[in-house]
Amino acid sequence: MKIVDVRESRERCAESGWFAYDFILEEQVNKELILALKPLGAMTYLPMLKKPFFKIESNYYFLKGMEKDDFIRVAVHDKHREELDKVRDYIENLSVFSS
Amino acid sequence: MVYLNQAATTFPKPKQVLDAVSDAIANQPQGQFRSSSASEDIFDICRKNLGKLFGVKQYQNIVFTAGATAAANALFYGLDFETGKVVVSQTEHNSILRPAMNLTEKISEGIILPCDEKGYLEPDTLESILEENDNQIRAVFINHCSNVTGAIQPIEKLAQVCHKHLAMIIADFSQSAGCIPIDADSWGIDAFIFAGHKGLYGIQGIGGYYIRPEYSVKPFMYGGTGRDSKIIRYENNFEYEVGTGNGPGVAGLNAGVRFILDTGVENIRFHEQQLMDTLYKRLADMKGINLIAIPKEKRGPVLSFTVEGINPSDVAYILQNGYEITVRTGLHCAPLIHEALHTKDKGTIRVSVSYFNTKEDVDALIAAMTDITAGL
Repeated sequence: MKIVDVRESRERCAESGWFAYDFILEEQVNKELILALKPLGAMTYLPMLKKPFFKIESNYYFLKGMEKDDFIRVAVHDKHREELDKVRDYIENLSVFSS
Repeated sequence: MVYLNQAATTFPKPKQVLDAVSDAIANQPQGQFRSSSASEDIFDICRKNLGKLFGVKQYQNIVFTAGATAAANALFYGLDFETGKVVVSQTEHNSILRPAMNLTEKISEGIILPCDEKGYLEPDTLESILEENDNQIRAVFINHCSNVTGAIQPIEKLAQVCHKHLAMIIADFSQSAGCIPIDADSWGIDAFIFAGHKGLYGIQGIGGYYIRPEYSVKPFMYGGTGRDSKIIRYENNFEYEVGTGNGPGVAGLNAGVRFILDTGVENIRFHEQQLMDTLYKRLADMKGINLIAIPKEKRGPVLSFTVEGINPSDVAYILQNGYEITVRTGLHCAPLIHEALHTKDKGTIRVSVSYFNTKEDVDALIAAMTDITAGL
């Protein structure tokens, strides 16, 4: 999945020691992509919502997003900013998912 | 988009406010102490209107600042605490907590007045603290309406307790101004701070404080005022609004205050209470929602809740991106109250309304929360 841009999130998490970024994707998030992210950490998935929501958490970062959005929010802990690149590489190495 | 984050800053503003700010920029500046023939400028008109709203006769003692935080700091710096102790309530915003805990050269100790599990303060608890620290407490800072739970404090009773023990009471009206009737003189409030951009419907960057004339405040800042320019060293007749003032901000604030006075604070409160009643009834019945429930008569236009099994920030994310509803989550810059609420790790989801919110806004939130909690 190609990430076309990485933007610092307007939702500032700095107060609690987290720094959030929005990974802007070439395609919309769909269920297949969400399930492919599962190896990144513990997953919460709320499929009953109008726009299903997911969250994946590890000790140093978390990802969250909703189906049909063209971005995923990724937050990393201040002391583990290098994890951002690892998450980015993982997503970019995934096969392309058609919406 | 439904906006239910009014406790952060109100939106929309009354049209009169937009017009006043726009006019202040578009029109040729008035003299404002500088070659002006006008007998009264917008700063004094606004002071007078704020005096009516806050119930203070000595409205000339209202000082404009860049906001409530600047106002709080001006009082912390300017009052002589004789390096004694101050009391700050557990419900305070960081605009009070941080000066109280960091100005160690002025304050020997900041004592926390604890609140209960809903964020209420008890006058008896304050009395005990003041008795234990007999004659050592210089001032007590009380947040009139919690920006987390919406709890309205018994400020008049708290003021009586303070005066019995010769401590001054300084109220934070940031969250209550314009939403809840205030009568500062009759309540015995010695000083208060306010934010202009919340319930007063002004723009961001304007606020202020009031202090009774019998208290002396050393200025936080010095500079030009357009008056008595030859005086460069003050003996005691200090001036407080130095530098070019925020004219557009004051013009907007004045229009906001005029809007409130014309509408009636009681009418604003009635409308906001109706919205809050609906929110309370519906959210309280929802499975998986832990509502910090406040009795109706003690309730401001703010409430907080948590959802079992879902992080508050995730609820806000879902509301924003899935339902186009804006709320706020986290600690809301008031960290200590969360210890009492048992929400210090992740905070709460905060919903807050203004006069411009509608029943449809509230219904939209309830429908979204019904979806979110359906699978719990």
